[in-house]
Formats: sequence, structure tokens, C-alpha cells
Amino acid sequence: MRQLFLALVLVVSLNVTKLWAVEPVWFGSKQAQRTLIINSAMDLASFEPILKKFVELHPDVRLAYRDVNTLELYHFTIKEHKKPEASLVISSAMDLHLKLVNDGYAQTYQSAFTDRLPSNFKWRNQLFAFSLEPIVMLVNKNKFPGDLPEDRQSLLQTIRQNEKAMTRRIGTYDIRKSGVGYLLASQDARQADVTWGRLLEAFGSHDVQTYCCTHDIIDDVASGKLVLGYNLLGSYASQRAQEDDRLKMILPKDYTLMLMRAALIPKGAPNIEDAGIFLDFLLSDQAQKMMQTQGLLFPIQPDINNPNDPYVVNAPGPTGVIELDQQLLVGRDYAKQKRFIRNWEMALEISAED
Amino acid sequence: MWQKSPNHQTLSEDEEKKALENAPSLRFRFILAGILVIGIIAGLAINLIFDYSQKLADLSYDRLLRSALLQMDENVGLMRNEVSIDIPWSAFATLAQAEEDRVFYKVESLEQGFITGYQDLDSQPPQEPVLDKIQFYDQEYSGEMVRFAWVQRHITDPETAQTVRIILGQTRLSREKMASAVTQKAVEVVVFIALVAITLIIIGSHLVLRPLHRIERALEERAIGDLTPIDINTPKETHHLKVAINHFMERLQSNLEQLENYTADAAHQLRTPLASLKALAENARDNTSPERQYQALENIVQQCDTLSQTVTLLLNQAVVSHRLQTHRLEPIDLLAPIAASCREQAVAALHQGVRLSLDCELKETMVLGDAFSIQQMMQNLIENAVRYSRADVAHATEVVVQVSEFERFYRVKVIDYGDGIPNLEKERVFERFYRGRYDIAGSGVGLSMVKDIVVHHAARIQILDTEPKGTTFQVDFAKLRFDEDTV
Repeated sequence: MRQLFLALVLVVSLNVTKLWAVEPVWFGSKQAQRTLIINSAMDLASFEPILKKFVELHPDVRLAYRDVNTLELYHFTIKEHKKPEASLVISSAMDLHLKLVNDGYAQTYQSAFTDRLPSNFKWRNQLFAFSLEPIVMLVNKNKFPGDLPEDRQSLLQTIRQNEKAMTRRIGTYDIRKSGVGYLLASQDARQADVTWGRLLEAFGSHDVQTYCCTHDIIDDVASGKLVLGYNLLGSYASQRAQEDDRLKMILPKDYTLMLMRAALIPKGAPNIEDAGIFLDFLLSDQAQKMMQTQGLLFPIQPDINNPNDPYVVNAPGPTGVIELDQQLLVGRDYAKQKRFIRNWEMALEISAED
Repeated sequence: MWQKSPNHQTLSEDEEKKALENAPSLRFRFILAGILVIGIIAGLAINLIFDYSQKLADLSYDRLLRSALLQMDENVGLMRNEVSIDIPWSAFATLAQAEEDRVFYKVESLEQGFITGYQDLDSQPPQEPVLDKIQFYDQEYSGEMVRFAWVQRHITDPETAQTVRIILGQTRLSREKMASAVTQKAVEVVVFIALVAITLIIIGSHLVLRPLHRIERALEERAIGDLTPIDINTPKETHHLKVAINHFMERLQSNLEQLENYTADAAHQLRTPLASLKALAENARDNTSPERQYQALENIVQQCDTLSQTVTLLLNQAVVSHRLQTHRLEPIDLLAPIAASCREQAVAALHQGVRLSLDCELKETMVLGDAFSIQQMMQNLIENAVRYSRADVAHATEVVVQVSEFERFYRVKVIDYGDGIPNLEKERVFERFYRGRYDIAGSGVGLSMVKDIVVHHAARIQILDTEPKGTTFQVDFAKLRFDEDTV
């Protein structure tokens, strides 16, 4: 499978090096003796309070945070596997992260906090999930034609009934550029193959807009350029929907995918002690509670005492938790991935060179 | 006679304790042997379990691997003359049952080359590839030992035919976990059983040896001199021991009785001549006539000779008895001790008016024996014959010693022409201290010693009547046969 990405690596490597030239965001005192570098595919907005809290609790650690796209993160982690710079790598592309572990790029870590973690939230004691969030649709209430869709079927109906209003007004991930986008699409195909086919066909015939990153889609939905964003990460969508009245987050009723964000410590990483401490902090009640109360992320086991808390997932239908195990490797199978992306390109009438 | 411990002395308590400490313990040996055997069996069992649990774990997880491989295999197809595979999610869901195990795979076609999976995976199976036959094997990959399932098959459609090879592997973590769980449980059971068995052996050894301790206590608590049979209930296994001890004590008792008799008799034997000596000495002291005094002194000398003979006899008997117990029989010429004995006694016999003659034409008479004992035997027989020849029969002035050869034995005869022994007494003459006639001097131990010597040489003794009157002692010694000797 590495071979598949060779081409892609070549495509993005220029991008990656350019990205890497960008200085990371630093937290903590400059006088701190130790440095912890975290590579992460997570918006800083959702993470900043947690990082700040961490350096407050550990003043002797200076923290560098690099926000990278999931697919780039995957390639970069492999690229620097001989001498990793980052002590901790965080991603929402569970499949890529699991593949990193499967292919031997991660090291084992165990502590009281990881032991406490339910077994379906970790793998081999090398990959640890710290949040579980729904995959949602985000609509612009003001611009959306007709009733708001409650599931994929009603979305299809709306598209058919409002062809003109929906053309070029739906945004989703470019699965070639976004690791998590590919994961979500492949999981959709796995969960409901026929619905996915129809949806893809509808997207293709209505010039769906593809994006690399969640916040770009959200921005465009908010501005009214798009009326609907499909398969968005719940934590970002929820954050913005709370701030912006125009936006409404919809958990599809037919099924709601649930995605974990996971962290691993690369093999041979520097300062693994602080990486472990940070991981423990992420899994601690304090950080988990911060995620919920400050509306940053969806914690693994939310405090359900507050029923109206938007960070407690109340899916109207069944939830399909993307399992953190070897099955994720299937989606990233070289042949399957090639075929899936080709089908996606064909359906969306995008040429491979695009 | 008796065999005695060479340095008979009572051990002090400390020495006894030390001896007890140094003595090998039956119980300890029994327990040690038991533990050793159980240990070996347990070791073998654990070894087997270890092997078996590995096989069991492989068997179980190989099923998962095979199932996943077959699911993959089922989804291999030809599209536009190219092999393609759509790995089903369920195949890896099957593998995910081994929760923590990494998965590696490779699909390739011999014609088309790499199709999907991990390209650097070695696709050569350890065994000769056979179509459609799944092979399982362990191989290191990505720094870990991986269990691989391998299959190869033809895939054909009207336009093309290809050979597809699928290799699917998973690390051995779950297998090892399962194997060690099985091993641990089984080892716990084996160790438990072994401990129980050892405990039973320890308890059993105590129970088994308890009757012995009871016999020991019964013997220990006896009053000195109590030789009555042990009368305690013991199990079958120690019954024979009890019987043997009782027999031994019986023999001991009879030996003691004999010793008592012997001592009494010996004392008696010595007292009579001593008393007579004293009487003669007093007589000599009181007599004033030098002639009579001389006569009395002569008598004293004679009496001393007799006493000396008796003492010699008793001493010889002791020596013979000792020799019989300590000396091994060796090849000797039977004639030598016989001739020596005759020579020795001829003069003494003549003093008593008896002519002693040796009648033998043989040159060599080899037997297995002890020369000293045989000489003593002859001495006794000849003395006996001479003694009983003194009766006033005209021709009772001769004792003949005759040695003749038979096919398997030499026969030694000591013939006298005395009064003979009545048939009733013939059987009793060999009894210790039995004396046919008290008017004739003798210790009564001579013939019983003869009997001892004869028995010890596995010879045969018979008392026959001499024609017309008298007694013939006939002893048959088996010939020494060299061919047998070498056997």
C-alpha cells in the first residue's frame, strides 16, 4: 500500500515540505527545559484550551503544535520514521493511524490511564482514542431549499426536487486529499452501499464541491456559498453551529457514523516521557471534561447528567461506530483504494489529474 | 556355633544418634524416589502440555486465518483480463478476533506480478507449492514472528489464465496468549496433582512403616532375657518379618540353652578331675611312705594329662567352630589330615594297648575342605574308637582307618572292635553332651563336633556295626571335580 502513496507522496511532498517550513504554534514558557512536539490533524481552535491547560500544569514543558492535514500527516510520519521529530501524532484518520501502527511505526505505551481506557478505544497499546464524535451534515438554514433533511434519503429527495438550488451548493471532502474524507466515504460505502452509490451519483450530477478541510466547508456553508456540507466532523460543526445561528448540525437518522480521534507515539520518538504524560492528560477526567464543558471535542465517555448538552451525542437513529481494529486496513487496501477513488472520480466527473 | 559381632560393645547415646543420622532412611528413600518419579512425570506432562497448547492455539487461530484467506480468495476475479481483488471487510473482521495482532498480506499473480498488499512480503512458501492447498507457516516480518497462510490457484476465463497467490499473515500475540493461558491452567493442575501425590506418598510412607515401628517398639520395650514370641497384630507385609524375628528368637533361645548346658557340662568336666586332683594331692600330702607318695604323685600326673586332654578338646572345638565360620573350604588332599591324625595318635593308642593302622592305597584324594577341621574330626573319631576298644575283648586291640575311592566320593572308615553302640543310641551319639557310657572318660562334645564338621563339608556320616562286634564310623566326602569347579 505504501507503493500506492508513492505517487501521492510525490504530489504532496512539495506541499508537505512547504507546510513544514511553517513554524509550529508554541505553548508554554521559553525557559522550559523540555520540548514536546505534537503533530496533529486537529484544528487548533478545538485543542488550544487543552494545550494551554497542559503547559499550565507542566510548566517545565514547552509544547510545539503543528496542525497538518490527515493524509499529509500520514506520509510525513512515515517519511521521518527513522528520526521522528514529533513525540506524539494525533489524527482523525483512524485508518491511516491504525495502518501506521500495523506497519510498525508506533511504540507501545502503557499507564494507569491507558489501562483504564476501554479495549475498543485502543489497539495494541500503541494507538489510543481520546474522543468519539458524530459525523454530521451541516446546513445553512436560511439558504436551504425546502425542509431540512433528516437523513440521506431526504437529502437525495431534496436534491432531486431542487436541482438548480442544489447544484454546486453541496460541499464534501476530496477523498484524494483528505485522509479522514476517504475514511468517511469508505465507511459510507460499507454501511450502505446502495445509498452511497445514489448519493455519489447525485453529488456528481450536481457538481458537488470538494474540499481538503472541514473548516473550509463550514466557512462556505456559513457564507451561503454552500447550503449543505456532507460528512463533516461533529466537533467542528457543533462548535460553529453554536456560534452561528444560520448553521444547523444534522445527525443523519438512517445512521450516524461515529469517529474516533487517536494518538500514537512514533517509534524512536524523542521525549517519550512527556508524550506519555500528555497522552495521560488527554485521557484524564480533567481533559475529557474540558472537551465537553468547553465544547471542544466529544469525549469518549461524556458526562450524561446534562441532557441538553450538545456534546452528548443523541443520535436520532442508529450509530455506526467506526471500529478501531484491523478492519480499517481493508479500506486502505491498495487495490480497493485505487478502485474506490477511481469510482469516486468517475461519479463526480472529476479527472484524475484534477 | 555362633557368629558374633567382632567388637561387641554398647554404643553410647551420642554414637547411637550419630549412627542413626548416618543410616540411610527407608522412608526418605521411598519419598525421594516417589518425588523423583512424580517430578519426571510432571515434567513430561508439562512439556507435552506446552507443546499441545501451542498446537491448540495454532489450530484455533489457523482456522480464523484460513477463513479470512478463503474470503479473500473468493473475491479474486478477472476484470478486463486483469486479476483484481476486492477484499471483503468481513475477512478482516474475522482476523480482528485476534484483537491485538497485526495483519499483513499480499496478493500477486505469477503473470501480472504484485496486485495488492505488502509488496516486500516474501511470497515463497516453505513447502513445494501445490495448487489450492493452503500452507501455514511462521516467518519473521516487520520485526515480529508472523503466522502466514498461503494459497495459490488458477483463475481462468475464456481469454486468459492466471495463477494467483494470496499470502495472509497475522502476528502471534493472541496465539501466545492463548497457549500460555492453556499452559498455565494445565501446569497449575499438574503441579496440584503432583503436590497431592507427594503428600500422599509422605503420608503413605508413614502408614506403611508404622507396623515396623510397632515391632521395633515391641522389641525395644522387652525385658532383658525375654525371648517369648512377639505377639502383636501386624499387616501381612510385616507378618514374615515378625515370624522371622520369632524364629530367630527361638533359635537364640535353643542356642542359649545349649550354651548353658555346655557351660554346665564343661564346668562339670573340669570339676571332676579337679576334685580328684585335690583328693590325690591330699592323699600325697598325708602319706608318709615315699613309695605311696610317689604312686599318688604318679596318679596326679595322669589326672593332669586327662584334664589337659579335656581342655585341649574344648579348645579345639572352639577353634574348629571358629574355622568353620570364618574359613572358606579349599581344595585339599583328604589323606594329609587323616595321615597326620593317625600319626599323632598311634603312640597314644599304643599306650592304651590299641594298634592303630591306616589302610589306604590311594595316591591322591582331592576334596573341598578344611584340613584342620578334618584332622580334628579324625582325631575325635580315632580317640573315640580307641577309647571304646579297651573292653576286654580279645581282638579289640585294633582300630583301623580305611580310605577307599568310589565313583563320586571318598569313603573314610574308622573301625573298632569294641562293644559297639546299641541301635537306639546310634541316633543320639551326635547330640551335644550325650555320652553313651559314663564309665568311659569323654567330654560328650567330640562326636557333636564331628557332626558339625561333616555337615559343614556337606559330607555324609553313618554309624555301622563292625563284624563280628564293634562300631564303624563311615564318612563320605564328595570328590573334588575340576570340571565342576570351573563352572
